[in-house]
Amino acid sequence: MNQSVRLSADSVSVAFGDTPVLQDLSLALPDGQVTVIVGPNACGKSTLLRSLSRLQKVDAGQIMLDGNAIAKQRSKHVARALAVLPQSPSAPEGITVLDLVRRGRTPHQSALQQWSKTDADAVARALALTGMTHNAQRAIETLSGGQRQRAWIAMALAQDTDILLLDEPTTYLDLPHQIDLLNLVKTLNQETGRTVAMVLHDINLAARFADHIVALKAGKVQVQGPPAEVVNAAMMQDVFGLPCTVINDPVHGHPHVIPA
Amino acid sequence: MSLSIRTNVMSFSIERRAALVGFGLLALVFVIGLLSLSIGSYPLGIDQVAQGLVGQLGGIEQMIVRDHRLPRILVAIGAGAAFGMAGAMFQAMLRNPLASPDVIGFTAGANFGALLAVVLTGSMVLFGALMGGLATAGLVTVLAWHQGLQTGRIILVGIGMSLTLAAGADVLMSMTDEQVAADMARWLTGSLNTRSYQDVSLIWGGLVLLLPIVGWLQFPLARMAMHDDIVIGLGLALSPLRLAITCTSVALVALAVSVAGPLPFVAFVAGPIARRLTGGGRPAVLTAACVGAIVTMAADLAARSVPLIQLPAGVFTALVGAPVLLWLLAVQYRKGNF
Repeated sequence: MNQSVRLSADSVSVAFGDTPVLQDLSLALPDGQVTVIVGPNACGKSTLLRSLSRLQKVDAGQIMLDGNAIAKQRSKHVARALAVLPQSPSAPEGITVLDLVRRGRTPHQSALQQWSKTDADAVARALALTGMTHNAQRAIETLSGGQRQRAWIAMALAQDTDILLLDEPTTYLDLPHQIDLLNLVKTLNQETGRTVAMVLHDINLAARFADHIVALKAGKVQVQGPPAEVVNAAMMQDVFGLPCTVINDPVHGHPHVIPA
Repeated sequence: MSLSIRTNVMSFSIERRAALVGFGLLALVFVIGLLSLSIGSYPLGIDQVAQGLVGQLGGIEQMIVRDHRLPRILVAIGAGAAFGMAGAMFQAMLRNPLASPDVIGFTAGANFGALLAVVLTGSMVLFGALMGGLATAGLVTVLAWHQGLQTGRIILVGIGMSLTLAAGADVLMSMTDEQVAADMARWLTGSLNTRSYQDVSLIWGGLVLLLPIVGWLQFPLARMAMHDDIVIGLGLALSPLRLAITCTSVALVALAVSVAGPLPFVAFVAGPIARRLTGGGRPAVLTAACVGAIVTMAADLAARSVPLIQLPAGVFTALVGAPVLLWLLAVQYRKGNF
């Protein structure tokens, strides 16, 4: 398989104090695909995503973006290539959706160029793609959880990057809103060709929405590949320690995990 | 509602509400300024004030307007604006209304430095205030450091620092002879009595130099209201920005302290009031400048309106600010920020 890759981890290790979190981990995010990182609690999923988005400094190894170490590149330059949505982000009180989405334009702006035509267009497009145009003037805290998450995704979209990293974007959402949000992510990937990497807790949702699954265990990549190849009873036992049966979902045909 | 302004070299978007509030506050600064020129132990009519300003009044009245009251008011506006901007910048950067320079000790540090400079050299007030402010900022940072900086800890350490330095200032005052101590009275609580054009040029000269930097910092500050991860994700260099903001605020505080003393709580109340007025969760540094100027002028006007005794303006800013501090402390405590 000859896959082009813009963002990758090269023998990355991260430790919090004496506790190693990521150990000599290497990973390449296939361009134009949706990669979902799964694994049991405390396996280093979030730390991996944070490292890939340079929010977490790595102790050893490198995160590579377009062939160069991300730590050596200007943060503004990186922010034009990849957007990251941290886990349950918080916004200042009273800020409107429009204002929030506008902030996504920051890496394309400067103190003198704060609101160009390109900025206005990108913000309008991000609002339209996420279906938030009619909510633009509402304050973030008046929105439902699902709408709020859409607003944050709109902000990341306004950043106009080829790579989008999402840390547990479905946290605190009920199932219909989780599906709704993941459908949105999938649509964005298909319509705009964006590379997406996200951390998800639910293996069945991961199997359904991922092109590429990365299963992490104790800070290492245990197995990776397309859901049909990766999600099986052996992997679930190995990575999660969960005895289960894996069937083919009768509606969509993806692997579906049924815990024993 | 917002208005987009675009030219080849710059582009901005201005919120209508923020613009209206800005113009309203500027008008208020002007009106209170005129009132301050006319009210006093020797009352003058507005027409006399106007004549005095353009130099067509003559006599003692001319002197009162131009040499006595005008410099005092210009210093009040300048110092109030400097305190207001410094407070709003710090509160926005640390995302906490309690984190203003006068609560976390930077003002007390600048004040102590100014006093020390007067005692030791008889001059170099601004230099002393700058050094005192920067040293305090450094010390608070070091003392509050524990696996990174947490705003709650900065505030607690800063309040302790503030009290210590205030006590230190009292000691310095008591060690000097009466003549010098009278000159230094402004650094006790902050006062605008007998200001000269030397003070006016110091504070306004400093403001002219610092305003472009403050304007430039507005851009990152508006974004720093969000979580650190998002700020970094948007490509802003957090640590250099924090350093730049801290140094600029300390410089503003040092300037204001040099000409008007600590003026308690002006920096503290200006930011939250400005934010309420402009709304929308934006830090409003320039609006806070206007609010700071208005609060300071009003405090000075109140101080001058008490008959027979010369009260310092700082007493009145403290009267307004202290209850606000208590209230905010209670709110923050309930939110579990300590």
